[in-house]
Amino acid sequence: MLLQILVNALALGASYALLALGFVLILNATSAVNFTHGDMVMAAGYVAIALFSIVPVPGALLLPLVMVAMAVLGFVFSWFAYFPLKNRPPVSVFISTIALGIVFQNSANAIYGAEPRKGPPLLSEGLFEVAGITIGKQALGIVVVAIVLILAQHLLLNRTGIGRKLRATAQDRQMAEAIGIRVNRMIALTFALGAALAGAAGLMLSNTFFVTPTDGTNYIIKAYIAVTIGGWGSLTGAVCGALIIALFEVLFPSLPLLIPPLEAIAPWLFTQTASTILLYLGLLAIMFFRPQGLFGERVQRRV
Amino acid sequence: MNVLNTRGTDYFGMLVAAIIAASPLAAAAQTAEVNLPILVPITGFLSLEGTSQRNGALLAIKNAPSSVKITSEVTDTGASPEGATTALERALSRGKVSAVVASMLGTQMLAMLPVALENKVPLATVSGTADITEKNNPYVFRFFPGDAVAKGAHVRYVLEELGKKRVALVYQTTAYGQSGRRHIVELLKKAGIDPVMEEALDVSVKDMSPVMGKVQVANPDVIMLHLHGGPSALFIKQAAAAKVNLPIVAGSGLSQPSTVALVEPAELKGVCAEANASPVAGGSPEMEKFLAQYRAEFKTEPDGFAVGQYDATAMIIDAAAKGARTPEDIRKALSSGSYKGVAMTYKSDGKGNMANSAVVICYDGATRTPKIAKRYD
Amino acid sequence: MNAALNWSISGVRPLLILGGVLLAAWPMLMSSAYELRIFTIVGIYALLALGYQFIFGHSGALALTQGSFFGVGAYVTAVLSVKFALGGELTVLLSMALPIALAALIAAPVLRLESHYFALATLGVGQVLVLVAVAWQELTGGANGLSGIPGLTLFGFEVKKGYAIMAAVWACVAAGAFLSWRITRGLYGAALHISRENPIAALSVGIDTAKLRYAMFLLSAMFAGLAGALYAHTIRVVSPEALEFPIMVACLTITVVGGRTHIAGAILGAILIVNLPEWFRAMDKYYLIAYGVTLLAMIIAAPYGLIGLLEQWRAKLWPEAPRRMPKAVPLLSLRATGPAFGPLLEIRDVHKRFGGLRALNGITLTVARGEIFGLIGPNGSGKTTLLNVITGIYRADSGSVSLDGAAIHALPSFAIAQSGIARTFQNINLVDEMSVLDNVAVARYGLENAGLGQTVAAGWSDPAWQRARSQAMSLLDALGVQSVAQSAAGTLAHGLKRKVEVARALALEPKLLLLDEPAAGLNETEQVDLADRLRSFARSGLAILVIEHNMPFLMPLAERMACLDHGDLIAVGAPADIRVDPLVVEAYLGLPEKTSA
Repeated sequence: MLLQILVNALALGASYALLALGFVLILNATSAVNFTHGDMVMAAGYVAIALFSIVPVPGALLLPLVMVAMAVLGFVFSWFAYFPLKNRPPVSVFISTIALGIVFQNSANAIYGAEPRKGPPLLSEGLFEVAGITIGKQALGIVVVAIVLILAQHLLLNRTGIGRKLRATAQDRQMAEAIGIRVNRMIALTFALGAALAGAAGLMLSNTFFVTPTDGTNYIIKAYIAVTIGGWGSLTGAVCGALIIALFEVLFPSLPLLIPPLEAIAPWLFTQTASTILLYLGLLAIMFFRPQGLFGERVQRRV
Repeated sequence: MNVLNTRGTDYFGMLVAAIIAASPLAAAAQTAEVNLPILVPITGFLSLEGTSQRNGALLAIKNAPSSVKITSEVTDTGASPEGATTALERALSRGKVSAVVASMLGTQMLAMLPVALENKVPLATVSGTADITEKNNPYVFRFFPGDAVAKGAHVRYVLEELGKKRVALVYQTTAYGQSGRRHIVELLKKAGIDPVMEEALDVSVKDMSPVMGKVQVANPDVIMLHLHGGPSALFIKQAAAAKVNLPIVAGSGLSQPSTVALVEPAELKGVCAEANASPVAGGSPEMEKFLAQYRAEFKTEPDGFAVGQYDATAMIIDAAAKGARTPEDIRKALSSGSYKGVAMTYKSDGKGNMANSAVVICYDGATRTPKIAKRYD
Repeated sequence: MNAALNWSISGVRPLLILGGVLLAAWPMLMSSAYELRIFTIVGIYALLALGYQFIFGHSGALALTQGSFFGVGAYVTAVLSVKFALGGELTVLLSMALPIALAALIAAPVLRLESHYFALATLGVGQVLVLVAVAWQELTGGANGLSGIPGLTLFGFEVKKGYAIMAAVWACVAAGAFLSWRITRGLYGAALHISRENPIAALSVGIDTAKLRYAMFLLSAMFAGLAGALYAHTIRVVSPEALEFPIMVACLTITVVGGRTHIAGAILGAILIVNLPEWFRAMDKYYLIAYGVTLLAMIIAAPYGLIGLLEQWRAKLWPEAPRRMPKAVPLLSLRATGPAFGPLLEIRDVHKRFGGLRALNGITLTVARGEIFGLIGPNGSGKTTLLNVITGIYRADSGSVSLDGAAIHALPSFAIAQSGIARTFQNINLVDEMSVLDNVAVARYGLENAGLGQTVAAGWSDPAWQRARSQAMSLLDALGVQSVAQSAAGTLAHGLKRKVEVARALALEPKLLLLDEPAAGLNETEQVDLADRLRSFARSGLAILVIEHNMPFLMPLAERMACLDHGDLIAVGAPADIRVDPLVVEAYLGLPEKTSA
């Protein structure tokens, strides 16, 4: 039973990790909190559904198409949400991304209506069963795709020239400009990449969890929590944070299943609602006691 | 004031005008004029249900007899209570209102009730929320089985048809869910049964593995769901994935065709749902006719809300055709009359609950079209 | 009379006064219950936004709790009037009190977080509140909420639907606007301004920015609670929707669109945003998209909102004559210092590390009263770090810093400033949009004992602010920059900015003045001028510690000097000795040129 729970947590954690990846990439590069990221994931789900209705192929083939489409959207998005505001205080970008989130949500509602839609599966729906543990084929697909994308992002950032330029822009924009890096291009590229990652997440989640126009808010909160727990700005941290959230969400309400006496002591504590409240309280506690998260570093301000 | 807002009523208006011009005496003596604003959520998380309401009402208006002239304007109530009261007051300020097609969201209905009372205008809705008819307000008419009827059907099917005793109950933390759960538990208690397991889920919960685990551990022989459409579909999918081989009897959320579209037919084997009506399941010549007309007019499948609102609007129009002229006339007709609609026969129980029957539909695992398994009146 | 006339034609006030008159007249033209209701709802949101301006506009902190406090206020009213049948006089007070208590509770962990953390934390709190409201069915009615809330009754007198409740709501808006004006117009308002634009500068002039933010947070909660109570009495139903994010978004949009620090902005924004869905009904289900687009357009094109935009246009199209400058009133030049013997500033064995970098390695120094002390060393040697440790921006890892015998190293930096240490910065830290005069005047905050109570109780004009500006005027005179008193600080040349910063530092009536590279960017004439003034200040008893790289400026000025290198103090003594000290020469100075004069 514990093993099944852990497997479920891993599948969920991979979904959350996909959400957090794009978010933390943009955060790193621009210090901008992209509140629209969750809505991008939602939009990607609809893009996947739209593409599937034109070209009914398995999701695995649609994946690169969706990622490219979302990359273009991310590129255009940065023109509206970021570049007009890049010299303003960061809170302005926060607000602009809230505004665009409203636009995305209501556009989706206007075009597709409020009822949930299902996106195409990666390969097929169905289950694998190994030694009594079941894992959905789609869930396994998510884990695989998440691993591939995390590795790809790591390689891109650390082993390629472009990656170096991206990191330089993220760390010290003025310096990067001074040594000749085309900073605006790098930032636009970052938004495109972040949106592409949102695209992958959106495609995968549209099948497992369906797509509704209002999903975005929930997704962005999860991404936010993952990144805060893991360390604001750290890629490893974001992934770890995502796994931790998933583990908590799956394991905590299931504790009475593993330790039956708990059910008798405090049944109200292990309900879904109580676990969600505890997750938020835990987040607040982390922000209070260890605001840099698990992997982040304290930053002093230059005077 | 003649504010026509839809193509259907536009054409109809022209037709009526032509008839009036052709036979002035007869028409002038017999034409009833009805101003029927349609105030439903077109945006926000209930836009699907609101659109169903709107479509059902508009179709009824289209089918109205020539002796009734109807003006109608569709206004969005959004998702908040103040949106609804604002829309209602706006409609009232624009001319004499005969009756109102009102949003099915419980909190919006509750907010509109005092305004309706003050202005003495009847509201016709398909809201299932129990409370709206418990406020001693004679101006609310609900054309949807209240929780007492709907959950009555739900529970009776589980106990009588399936003969189950160990019930696992999963419900939503919304007004719909909480109200339904209260009734289910009461009814089970009357039969001497306590659920072996209960869990409340927020609408945003997507991963149901902890709930699934708890369900399995509790060892029930049936799962009762009282969730909205999306979560119902998610649950059924994940239950099939977790190989939970138990019969599932869901609430009306599952009966909406758009929800069923999210699940594979195979996953629906052994799944039943309670509903006020399921147009896609057909069952009577009137229903088939309604189904065909709706599909042709709106290019989509009707759900229970659509047929409920259709019947509600038709009853009002019928009252007008039979002589009701003022809002008070209409109110009297609704509260004392009885009307054979497409889904069922409607008669007020004194509090404004018009719909007193529900159905349980079941899926055979081969297609997405259900069959009516049992009808409860 | 003249003053009132001047006031009413300055800025965009004529428009606002016209707007106010129209607003008051509008209800008399209204005919339907619908219009009254819309107008009432506009008033409720205006009140909510007015409150939000305290934390978001004036303190510059993006809190996402305003909607939650609104919902809490609504629920308190609902529960108390439905379940306990309490009258409005109690429920309204409690509807304000509970959000204030909640704000106080969450302020401690949350307020000190940086911007996005703060926003996220407040969002998290809001989510928890929604979950609690839905789950706690016995109290809140669960997801269905509580209905049948009676109208507002005050001491048995019922405020009826329609006109009466609308008048009550707008009376609250007027009271709220009055309070807001009182709080932000004087010295306290200036302190709020500098705290949000440049917190480090604010701390350096003795303003407790944390306390200010805390007060603003609680104020915003109070307004939100009142708005929620009025909402409950207007709509008569309270459900978890009152706590959810869309209300927060509406509040944020109103504030951004109207103008985040303008009272008129809250009202204008509310009128626009509440009516937008009504006006855009023609757009059918796409009108909410227009909402998002509007918010985006405003934040890009008009960050100060519509009122800010109007003010900008007025300033461009029809510039005003500069206001009359206040008369200069000299400061009592120095506060009484402590014992006349012993050093003024004593730094003992101070260590500071940043991760692996040892910035300060056991620094021990003293500065005497009225002494000009120079501090030199290569870049990265720890000079600015030492300054930051003295002023409390960094905490030393070990060691002590004392002023007049009293230990100050454990005090927060604003307290250190208030105890008599003032500073300037390497990168000028003035508030660009504030006038030069106001930039200096705000430093009088601590000495004038300004505060929330003081500013609310003061009359039409804030006497503390008048005094502060007069004294600032005389300081500007003392530094020879009085001619630019009315200019915005950001428009000045570098040399002038530098002098203004010194003036601001002096406004604290300090015992010790810390200058970080004051001569940088000044030409020779300006340097000589500055050195002369500094000498005259020192003669009146002010101790000055100067960090400089400019040796021709510093050598003649300083009486004693010290040299740092890689965090170590390598030499202390008279300038002549330092100049030839071999360690100093090797680390920093190099040998003097043969052709020097």
